[in-house]
Amino acid sequence: MVKNLPFDQTILEHLRSIASEGVKNAAYGFSGMIGRKVRVGQTKGRFVPILTLPEIVGRPEEEAVGIYLRFEGDMVGQMMMIIPHQKAMELVDLLLDIPAGTTQHLGPMERSSLGELGNLCGSFFLNSIADSFGADFRPSPPAVVVDMVGAILDIVVATSGGVSEQILLVEANFTDGDRCVEADFWVIPDMNTVHDLLEKSAGR
Amino acid sequence: MKEPISVGLGEHAISHDPEDILVAYGLGSCIGVAMIDPVSKVSGLLHAVLPRAKDGYQNGEKNASKFAESGIECLIAALIKERAIRTRLVVHLVGGANILLSSGMTHSFDIGTRNVEAAYATLNRLKIPVSTAEVGGHLGRTVRVYVADSRVTVRVAGEKEHEI
Repeated sequence: MVKNLPFDQTILEHLRSIASEGVKNAAYGFSGMIGRKVRVGQTKGRFVPILTLPEIVGRPEEEAVGIYLRFEGDMVGQMMMIIPHQKAMELVDLLLDIPAGTTQHLGPMERSSLGELGNLCGSFFLNSIADSFGADFRPSPPAVVVDMVGAILDIVVATSGGVSEQILLVEANFTDGDRCVEADFWVIPDMNTVHDLLEKSAGR
Repeated sequence: MKEPISVGLGEHAISHDPEDILVAYGLGSCIGVAMIDPVSKVSGLLHAVLPRAKDGYQNGEKNASKFAESGIECLIAALIKERAIRTRLVVHLVGGANILLSSGMTHSFDIGTRNVEAAYATLNRLKIPVSTAEVGGHLGRTVRVYVADSRVTVRVAGEKEHEI
């Protein structure tokens, strides 16, 4: 049963600020994985209506890589990390510590390494949010999808269906020396569980 | 050359203008329904997100085009208003893929298949046959409707556009 909740700007603002922290935390995970310090540029987080996301992201026919996780526990939701196709191949070079430009396509091994990265970044990201609430989240194993941006978007639009019409969009970029990878994080919390969680943490 | 008319999530568009191209980019589990009356030269394209209004979105009735069932009814009504004749409508279905299955996520809701089923069920009920369908599978598709010559094309990521 979906509760009819008022749209609560304060909650969204709170989530937005901790999500930006989450991206910084994700970069620590990333750094640990490649053994070098990865820096995070300015992150920009905002809530947008889910159906307007294609206009904001733009170029829905362009190929991208989506790393998808669901999470359960005190808060339920889904998250997608989106990386442009070319940048994802550069990222594989970085992850596998091979010269830039080596990776030309995304086969099973490349997808698996991106999945690992998504798993790590996603877990660090979620842990950061969970810690700030004193809550417990359990992420699912990651799924890596290589397809048109529009088709990747459909995954979150269709599965969030009746639960959430707002999506938290966090635009981030990670740099390692002169290499830079932009990634978008889409976080779609089930607002019912966010309310419950806030009530619980307020009563602590 | 005019810009193509982009039909976004939960929208539909109709055109008489031979210079227009209606396009729904990157359909994943969403379903694209193209309907054309080749005689009165009017074309329409629906980009539906979910099968039926009761499947979600509390304020579903406010936006009929979000759903395959109500969206198809809405598109037919809009076409008839623009001088299309119901029995002449040529219908093409595109989309309804299950993108996540390809990567082993087992507990997917498979909205794509349900969208395709809902579209067929609605059209059957309305006694409107489907001319061609390129649905299901695990890949996203872009569908284009060329109003000038009633052509409908599909493009999959990394491939060329082809006519259906």
